[in-house]
Amino acid sequence: MIWATWRMERSLYLVAVVALGVIAVLLALAGLHQESAWAAYSNLHCGEPGSTSGCMSAASSYFSASRFSSAGVVVGFLVPGLVGLVFGAPIIARELGQGTNRLAWTQSISRTRWLLLKLAVGALASGALIGALTPVFQWWTGAVQRGDRIVPPNFDASGLVPVAYALFAFMLGAFLGVLVRRTGWAFAIGVPVFAAFRYLERSFVRSALVPPVEMSKIQVAPSNNWVLNQGYLPLGQSSPGRGITWQTKNASISRCTNPGGGKATVSVQHCESLLKLHFVVQMQPGNHYWLLQLAEAGVFVAAACALLALTVVAVRRWRT
Amino acid sequence: MSEAPALETIGLGKRYGHTWGLRDCSFDIPTGRIAALVGPNGSGKSTLLRVAVGVARPTTGHVRVFGRTPEEVLHRVGYLDQERPLYRSFKVGEMLRFGEKLNPLWDAAAARLYLGELKISLGARVGNLSVGQQAQVALTICLAKRPDLLLLDEPVAALDPLARESVMQVLLRAVVQDGTTVLLSSHVIADLATVCDYLIILSASRVSLADDLAYVLASHHLLVGARDTSAPTGTEVIAATHTGRQTNLLVRVTEPIDDAGWRVEEPTLEEIVIAYLRRAEAGGESSAHQPLLPKGSEQEQASR
Repeated sequence: MIWATWRMERSLYLVAVVALGVIAVLLALAGLHQESAWAAYSNLHCGEPGSTSGCMSAASSYFSASRFSSAGVVVGFLVPGLVGLVFGAPIIARELGQGTNRLAWTQSISRTRWLLLKLAVGALASGALIGALTPVFQWWTGAVQRGDRIVPPNFDASGLVPVAYALFAFMLGAFLGVLVRRTGWAFAIGVPVFAAFRYLERSFVRSALVPPVEMSKIQVAPSNNWVLNQGYLPLGQSSPGRGITWQTKNASISRCTNPGGGKATVSVQHCESLLKLHFVVQMQPGNHYWLLQLAEAGVFVAAACALLALTVVAVRRWRT
Repeated sequence: MSEAPALETIGLGKRYGHTWGLRDCSFDIPTGRIAALVGPNGSGKSTLLRVAVGVARPTTGHVRVFGRTPEEVLHRVGYLDQERPLYRSFKVGEMLRFGEKLNPLWDAAAARLYLGELKISLGARVGNLSVGQQAQVALTICLAKRPDLLLLDEPVAALDPLARESVMQVLLRAVVQDGTTVLLSSHVIADLATVCDYLIILSASRVSLADDLAYVLASHHLLVGARDTSAPTGTEVIAATHTGRQTNLLVRVTEPIDDAGWRVEEPTLEEIVIAYLRRAEAGGESSAHQPLLPKGSEQEQASR
């Protein structure tokens, strides 16, 4: 069955490998360019005392070299889902559509075994392809150089999660293929479902997968942290209590620092002690990166397993 | 081997939406028989075969193959679907490899030999073969599995008379050599009489008759007599036709006919089958409350 599945899917896999190979080469070229611009900028030690006047032009050439990196984030966001759905949607739907399931199910292999072997081949192909591409994505977004890989757009295109997204999308496509029995419809329904699941998880679940860290006594969080919230809170409180939000006390501080309006005349430190407030940053620090990657990959792999179970039930109960 | 029949159905029914594709179906096929499943289009032949191999799940009743569920004995059953599904992008040789990988008892030599006899090249792409050749490839895959029970849905439908003859020869050879039980559906009754020794008539989703073919032939008579003579005792009239002053009855007899008013003739198999189908179509006793399915509706539903 492994051979047979490979034989059925190989042309699709070949096309995908070639298409993504072309993308990877383009990304690699852009990444090289960006990396050398970053190296040139770093070598100038800008921001340190006595930095040279070349900083401005070096910085601007880095920014122009990295102007595609936001597009890279989009590619990194879309590709795992698209590859998963493109591989998953036809894997069962095509057999049901052409009636070849009646050929496969009447050989000496049980229906469940047939299904699991097919899905294993497809899942492996989706995961391996995205796994191979992820280093290119994460290099291209430049997150590794800048060290802010935990910050959302970069986080999504690096580490383990792209493979987990691909596995989830693959199982989503396969399951929808069993439900609607048509590759095209399975794909068309799968895209918005996948995007919605990704968006909701990213917006409402990810930040709480690992307990965030609250820090006070700093004014600006380092860029390698993912800042969730920040603001003035009463002393002794590291998160907003009842009746206040992260923003509630900002107004009191600004009334205190510039009582007459216009320029600030009173120091922030003075106002903080006067009002018994402190500035708190709630964040996922950079060292939570792998913890968060594992947790988020776990969410998507668990969702993929749930879809697998549903697919097995649907195929076992299949009524012609 | 156990005494269980090769195929046994008990109150088998299959419903598609509001219409029954198969209803109250109960019969046995003893091992070693070549059974013919006859009936008009849409009478439930394909549905019955699909349920028997476990591809379709019955709505009511049970099916037992060698005393087990179809899923438990998949490796002992060869099934030829009505639509001959094959992987069209595969080469013929790859189709055989598919069969070899999925069947422990696969007879690779026999498969190659059979395709060689039919002059079908292993390097040809399945999608480029003629419909008849595709049917032969599909049948080869069934046979190379070395099954104990062959379920064949219209095995000779797309074949020319010569290929028809050779398929029937292959089937006979399998039965003689391996003791394979065969259930084949067809609406070409002439083909069946020479090969089959068991007859199942399916009409309007119900079984009208399931019995040994020799017994069926021996127990049915064509009676010719004067018009409006009442049928002799001990007979069940299956069909009656009237011409001028004469009445022809096709009857099933339960005791010897001793009535000088009738001339007794032996009907052909085709006449018997048609008599049963006519009776069912006219709303005869076995399907009194069964609305007739439109022709072809069962095939369409089964293929979805």
